Amino acid sequence: MTTEKTISLEINGRFFQAREGMTILDVAKREGIPIPTLCYHEALESVGNCRLCMVEITHPDWKGWKGLVTSCLYPVEEGLQVTTDNKTIWNTRRTILDLLLARCPDSDVIQKLAAEYGVTVTSYRKNDVETKCILCGLCVRVCAAKGANAISSAGRGIEKMIARPFDQPPPDCIGCASCAHICPTGAIEYEDTPEVRKIWGHSFKMVKCESCGRPIMPEKQLEFEAEKSGLDPAYFKTCSVCSQRKSIDTIRSAFDMKAVGLGEPVEVAR
Amino acid sequence: MQKTLTITPSRCTSCRTCELACSFKHAGKGGLGIARIRTFMFGEGKNQILTCFQCDEAACVKVCPVEALSRNESTGAIEVNEARCIGCGLCSIACPFGHMNHDGTNGIAVKCDLCGGDEPACAAFCPSRALEYR
Amino acid sequence: MRIKSAKSLESVTKKVRGEREKIETEVLVCAGTGCLANGSLGVTEALDRAIHANGLDVKLSLGLKTTGCHGFCEQGPLVVIQPKGIFYRGVKPKDVDDIVEKTLKNGEIVERLLYRDPNTKKRVEQYVEIPFYSKQQRIALRNIGKIDPSNIDDYFAVGGYAGLAKALTKMTPEEVIDAVTKSGLRGRGGGGFPTGRKWKTCASAPADTRYVLCNADEGDPGAFMDRSICEGDPHAVIEGMVIGAWAVGAHEGYIYVREEYPLAVKHLQRAIEQARERGLLGDDILGSGFSYDIHIARGGGAFVCGESSALMKSVAGEIGEPRAKYVHSVIRGLHDKPTVLNNVETWADVSWIIAEGAEKYAALGTEKSTGTKVFSLVGKVKNTGLVEVPMGITLREIIFGIGGGIIGNRPFKAVQTGGPSGGCLPESKLDLTVDFDSLTEAGSMMGSGGMIVMDDHTCMVDTARYFLKFLVDESCGKCVPCREGVHQLHQMLEAICRGDGRPGDIEKIESLSDVIVEASLCALGKSAPNPVLSTLRYFRAEYETHINEKKCAAGVCRNLFTFRISEEKCTGCGLCLKACPVDCITGEKKQVHTIDEEKCTRCGACRNVCNFDAVEVI
Ligand SMILES: Cc1cc2nc3c(=O)[nH]c(=O)nc-3n(C[C@H](O)[C@H](O)[C@H](O)COP(=O)(O)O)c2cc1C
Ligand code: SF4
Ligand code: SF4
Ligand code: FES
Repeated sequence: MTTEKTISLEINGRFFQAREGMTILDVAKREGIPIPTLCYHEALESVGNCRLCMVEITHPDWKGWKGLVTSCLYPVEEGLQVTTDNKTIWNTRRTILDLLLARCPDSDVIQKLAAEYGVTVTSYRKNDVETKCILCGLCVRVCAAKGANAISSAGRGIEKMIARPFDQPPPDCIGCASCAHICPTGAIEYEDTPEVRKIWGHSFKMVKCESCGRPIMPEKQLEFEAEKSGLDPAYFKTCSVCSQRKSIDTIRSAFDMKAVGLGEPVEVAR
Repeated sequence: MQKTLTITPSRCTSCRTCELACSFKHAGKGGLGIARIRTFMFGEGKNQILTCFQCDEAACVKVCPVEALSRNESTGAIEVNEARCIGCGLCSIACPFGHMNHDGTNGIAVKCDLCGGDEPACAAFCPSRALEYR
Repeated sequence: MRIKSAKSLESVTKKVRGEREKIETEVLVCAGTGCLANGSLGVTEALDRAIHANGLDVKLSLGLKTTGCHGFCEQGPLVVIQPKGIFYRGVKPKDVDDIVEKTLKNGEIVERLLYRDPNTKKRVEQYVEIPFYSKQQRIALRNIGKIDPSNIDDYFAVGGYAGLAKALTKMTPEEVIDAVTKSGLRGRGGGGFPTGRKWKTCASAPADTRYVLCNADEGDPGAFMDRSICEGDPHAVIEGMVIGAWAVGAHEGYIYVREEYPLAVKHLQRAIEQARERGLLGDDILGSGFSYDIHIARGGGAFVCGESSALMKSVAGEIGEPRAKYVHSVIRGLHDKPTVLNNVETWADVSWIIAEGAEKYAALGTEKSTGTKVFSLVGKVKNTGLVEVPMGITLREIIFGIGGGIIGNRPFKAVQTGGPSGGCLPESKLDLTVDFDSLTEAGSMMGSGGMIVMDDHTCMVDTARYFLKFLVDESCGKCVPCREGVHQLHQMLEAICRGDGRPGDIEKIESLSDVIVEASLCALGKSAPNPVLSTLRYFRAEYETHINEKKCAAGVCRNLFTFRISEEKCTGCGLCLKACPVDCITGEKKQVHTIDEEKCTRCGACRNVCNFDAVEVI
């Protein structure tokens, strides 16, 4: 048995217990202390790109030293004293959102967040290129989590972007659109028709529900999912509505056939 | 012994109290659409209740790319970690029974969690003991 | 032949020394990148032919060898003749016959090839008399220019690998760490972190595997100290690394060299092979049972890849982007294992420290910045090149003593230290002692040792703009404050230089800089506002004139000044008239010339050629 070390720390003057290895943000979330984030997702590795989650830390042993750290990455330490909101933090977040608004003046998500910090019009020079992407990197990380690893960032500095390799449709893309769903600003576009899904320059043929004909997922994704999960491809060929209907139909016909035991209790749970 | 949610269809009157109780408990509001349990009337008093079977070899768990679904060992229920869920919808397609749903507003997976070990609301409120937790 | 023990290393050293003592005259041709570019290969070949043709090699017991960079690149190709220490500069293949005839055969000097002191205008015969060299104290560069880097025997002859032998046979790993700690050595790659402390943390981090790496990325534009060491004395680096590996218990390591340094890669590669062959690298080093091996990893050349966490990612084959180092890389570095990363110069110092003793090193320099540091002195200074000086020397001694002062004896305006994200220091700081802490306190930094001297024709706003542009291009783009913030800083400076500056810009620059410093993920972003902050600190008035009066007094920002020829100063020599690329200067010989302001593009060609400073900025 490994006994997990418990750590006590102070956030905004209140004391909390945490497990070793948790981040400041983990504890704050658990305790309902609000910290804004843009590049954080619980299921994905934290990278510290947006810097919005910065909080101030100090420690009785640090001789008065204090500084800003990203709460999504900073591991809790015994005796740590955290402040999640003060003038410096507020100003840092405001400046970051002001900068992001200069980058993406048309993003409603950024507009809304920036407005919370009193920025309605950016004080910096607006981007000449139209984009909603804030380079949080969530799309790249979710794609990696899916196991497809199809997209990545390209370029450096202000020229950096989430790009298709060599401007071609990314060969490893399976068309799952997870990137588009996770993107906080809706920067990734895709288009679904009953026949195809268009994303990242691909046009994927859709698998249709065997019962109702509604498109379910791209064929390429189906192959990928079946192989990855080890499940029979048939699992992915019926939409959830039809699966439910099928279950109902099965029961109905069982009633009609006066099948055994249906008036008796059925154990549903394990 | 782990308790189980037991359904006795012959006692079900299809009053839909379970659906209401479920949505109140989980969403704090009474929209029937977001209940994790559903009742069906086949006429002539033949009613049926459908909810997650908490399968041993659950397809939803197998397909989730981010381990947002996992079994609560004390209740036996498969639970959604909402913070982890990326809303890709794969679990609801993979479930052969159609028991997995998604929240219409944020796409997060929604399913029966047996109310985390308390007596499930559906069973607690079922007036005809068609649902029991024992 | 493998050297199987410290004892046999001693006899090898004795043997090669003996061989070298028989050589009466040695001709050393610099084959550093700078001299090679100037044609030193041709000089070597010509010398070789001429020496053979004259049958001198036998008669004079003459040795000819190519060495690493002497540091005085602008004077190259350089040829030094030992033991007399005759220093020839700017040698061309056609000069070779004279050198052989006069110097080698008859012991005479070839006057025209001697170095001429730009201040005294006197020709200097001896290497050691040239102020550029005489004021230096070389530790990291100790062997460069003296040994043939492709020959491990040459390194043995100067006592090479004795430090390693001492560490392995006479010292425990703890004693090695203690010695490095006592020496006071601080990292030469920029951060100035105490090397001993770094090693100690790594050695005590629980792990089954540890790595010892060398940072030879050298991304600072204009810096070439690490390249020179890798090219000119690769074994000093390797020896240092093996000592470090012994101290922390590592068995594998990498030297991360930038792709643009092919010669460094070649010399390091060859040195690694030689060291392996001789049993100084690989398994059972010097029969001690300890093993450590080095591989070369090549960097793609992004500046940010020199940052430790980005470098380790790059070595591991991932995208070279920094990560947050809340858990430091000495604990979790390459492949998540405890890793020591030190700079090339740091490693070269380590091998010296162990061989010569920590006290001897600690006695040099200042209390908190011990030892020596190599600087790459460039810009508007008479002697440019690599200089190694004890810490604590003043900027004035470097720039005016070693560097010989400002070209054309123009007024000194500023010196930029610390590479692109360093700061600019004004004349009032010339007597500042050069050490880690004073430089930081003054708003600049040591960095990896870049030193760019500027004269009065330099605009400080434009200078800040120039460095920011570099940083905008080199920011990896991962985090918002650096990617967006430094870009916006640069945009504001562009506007100011263009004449579009507005009141309030300075304050806006300052407050944005504060956030960039506080909130950026890695040290690139954290230090990126330095060029603008330091110039604001010392040259604020210049910003104000740019913004409020739309004037650039230095005559650099083209929208903000015009040139006029002074009636008092112009002698009518006509030099400017010939230099003007757009023919907008008119004037009769011996009459005052005039510039057509409409046509003038403000390129400054006239100002640069005028011997009487008659072209004025208004
Ligand atoms: C943007 C950036 C670039 C860097 N480039 C270099 C470099 O080219 N060479 C180097 O030795 N250190 C470089 N460093 C410093 C390294 O991160 C690291 O501190 C150093 O290699 C440690 O070795 P030292 O302690 O011997 O100096 C850089 C740091 C930053 C932030
Ligand atoms: S496309 Fe969306 S998810 Fe991807 S980096 Fe940009 S903002 Fe983030
Ligand atoms: S500070 Fe700049 S270089 Fe460093 S991680 Fe952020 S964007 Fe990249
Ligand atoms: S959420 Fe922590 S840096 Fe973006």
